[in-house]
Amino acid sequence: MNLATYARRNMFRRRWRTILTIVVIALTVVIFSAIRTVVVAWSAGADEAAQDRLATRHKVSITMQLPKRYIDDVRAIPGIKAASWAVWFGGKDPKKRIPFFATFAADQHTWFDVIDEMKVPAAQLAEWKTTANGAILGDVLAKTLEVKVGDRLVITSDIYPGDWEFKVVGIYEATRKSVDRNTMVFRWDFFNNDPRASFSREQIGWMMSRVSDPRKGAELSRQIDKIFDERDDQTMTMSERAFQLSFLGAFSAILKAFDWISVGILLIMALILANSIAMNVRERTHEYGVLRAVGFSAGHVRGFILGESVLIAALGGVIGVALTVVLINGLLGPVIEESMAAFFPYFRTPPSVLLMALGLALALGVAAAVLPARRASRLKVTDALRRLD
Amino acid sequence: MTTGSIEAGEAKEAKSEGGAASKAGAAAKEKGDGKGKADAGGPSIVTLRKISRSFQRGRETIQVLDGLDLEVPAGSFEALMGPSGSGKSTLLNIIAGLDRPTTGDAEVAGSNLSRMSDGELAKWRSQNIGFIFQSFNLIPVLTAAQNVELPLLLTHLSSDERKKRVATALRVVGLEDRMEHYPRQLSGGQEQRVAIARAIVNDPKIIVADEPTGDLDRKSADDVLTLMERLNKEFHKTIFMVTHDPAAAERASVQRRLDKGALQ
Ligand SMILES: Nc1ncnc2c1ncn2[C@@H]1O[C@H](COP(=O)(O)OP(=O)(O)OP(=O)(O)O)[C@@H](O)[C@H]1O
Ligand SMILES: [Mg+2]
Repeated sequence: MNLATYARRNMFRRRWRTILTIVVIALTVVIFSAIRTVVVAWSAGADEAAQDRLATRHKVSITMQLPKRYIDDVRAIPGIKAASWAVWFGGKDPKKRIPFFATFAADQHTWFDVIDEMKVPAAQLAEWKTTANGAILGDVLAKTLEVKVGDRLVITSDIYPGDWEFKVVGIYEATRKSVDRNTMVFRWDFFNNDPRASFSREQIGWMMSRVSDPRKGAELSRQIDKIFDERDDQTMTMSERAFQLSFLGAFSAILKAFDWISVGILLIMALILANSIAMNVRERTHEYGVLRAVGFSAGHVRGFILGESVLIAALGGVIGVALTVVLINGLLGPVIEESMAAFFPYFRTPPSVLLMALGLALALGVAAAVLPARRASRLKVTDALRRLD
Repeated sequence: MTTGSIEAGEAKEAKSEGGAASKAGAAAKEKGDGKGKADAGGPSIVTLRKISRSFQRGRETIQVLDGLDLEVPAGSFEALMGPSGSGKSTLLNIIAGLDRPTTGDAEVAGSNLSRMSDGELAKWRSQNIGFIFQSFNLIPVLTAAQNVELPLLLTHLSSDERKKRVATALRVVGLEDRMEHYPRQLSGGQEQRVAIARAIVNDPKIIVADEPTGDLDRKSADDVLTLMERLNKEFHKTIFMVTHDPAAAERASVQRRLDKGALQ
């Protein structure tokens, strides 16, 4: 036996109290790690986004459209290598096999040159250019919708009435993890010629341009917007990443709130731990008196309490880290990476976050014990002995 | 002193008369204050001078001990009686270095307690005092052997050495076959004997006992008292025992009474 034996035995004296405390700590570590993972994965996604691409949309709102002829003005700007355009279609699977996927009509001649991380085999691309109702799908989406090249595909829309029939002419593959594999692209001219879309005739949703020098991105953005400043429809040009984010506007705010939430969660964990340590210590006051009587010092008593608290925190922390690895890295991560690749190309809890969670659990274990330990060690031995539990 | 002396004493068990009498007799130098018939004689191991102890309860000051003098000769077995609330436990706590007098000097086992810090006192207690409490006060999550080993964790003894001493102490109290039992698996009398083993495992000079038989039936109480007598006679422990039980006090060599803050 050594001094740790006593601290260890004490831990499970109130079995359920300790087990529940450990469970709370473990869950806290999981939630904390999950939140940090979202934050880390988010910025990893930002790093992945193409740096040399600009998106131009209507200044007022993404839901408002621009005249198609704007594309020629953009292409004329020196420093713009290529530019293409698209219109949001709001496609829906009539069989509801997937709740949401991106669908838009785009220019078949330039789209895949600008968005070159969506890789379409040359033969399929050529086929697209000769098939008016041809559509190209991401490999994951094609699987979900159970179609392959050559199949007929019927899609409905949030915006445009009726069934829209397409022929699948190609499947694109992602050359980068951040590329969404759930997108469907079809020909803008096909869309533009359909009477059901007459109210947006010769209108486009947004333009994508590639710049020769990524460092000039901001300057070129200003230049583009300046051209249309005096026209009926003004534009807003931004990096592709910022453009993606504007679809999830509220999410960025949530992300900021996450920082505070993770602090709050840790505080709650510290309070729960402190409370159960305080209860343990109060119940054992008499016993600490006995230990002091037989020669243990106030420092020993502090050490026992601290040791017990840190042990509980460590156990909870280790279980929490193990759970995080299983739940996030094993189960949730791969699903999110596949379904939300554009935003979370890597959704794994990095070791640094796991270490931080464990370290914080231990630190809070110490913090939780400070007050009870101080109270117990300051109590006079005779008073502690008189205290009957 | 080490357990060596306990073992030696144990070995001498057969020779009935322990070395206590002869040794104490050789050193006989009556310092007696006349209040107790210190038949063990010897130099005093406890010397209290003009001890006062008061407690503050709200605005009221309760004077529990009032200018008390006490000398306990080394090797004696003393019983302290007196009405409830008379301050017996308070006096015992001062002797044991658990409490400090408001005024006065306490010299115990060669140390002046009033000059020691709390930390020094803790260390001093672990080396000089063995405690026996009314309610045994064993640690419920530790086995009998571990409870006895507890005070030894404060020493630099090796694990093997500690085990040997624990075994010896438990043999002295007759519980060598209950080493692995937890307190709840023992009877009250057995628990108190484990507590006694814990009190002697460090081989302290003085054993203080606050109503050691208070929670025991007659038979167990007698066993415990016999054991204490043995610790006194055979192992030369000075024992200071607070008790309400006249039969227990009878077993001591000196009986004292505390009343109205002073020894009668
Ligand atoms: N820490 C304390 N604070 C306030 N009063 C105290 C304290 N300790 C003891 N007293 C008071 O001092 C008096 C003596 O207490 P003590 O415990 O020494 O009595 P006792 O003789 O041992 O009594 P009993 O036989 O009931 O055990 C009591 O009136 C008690 O209430
Ligand atoms: Mg008392």
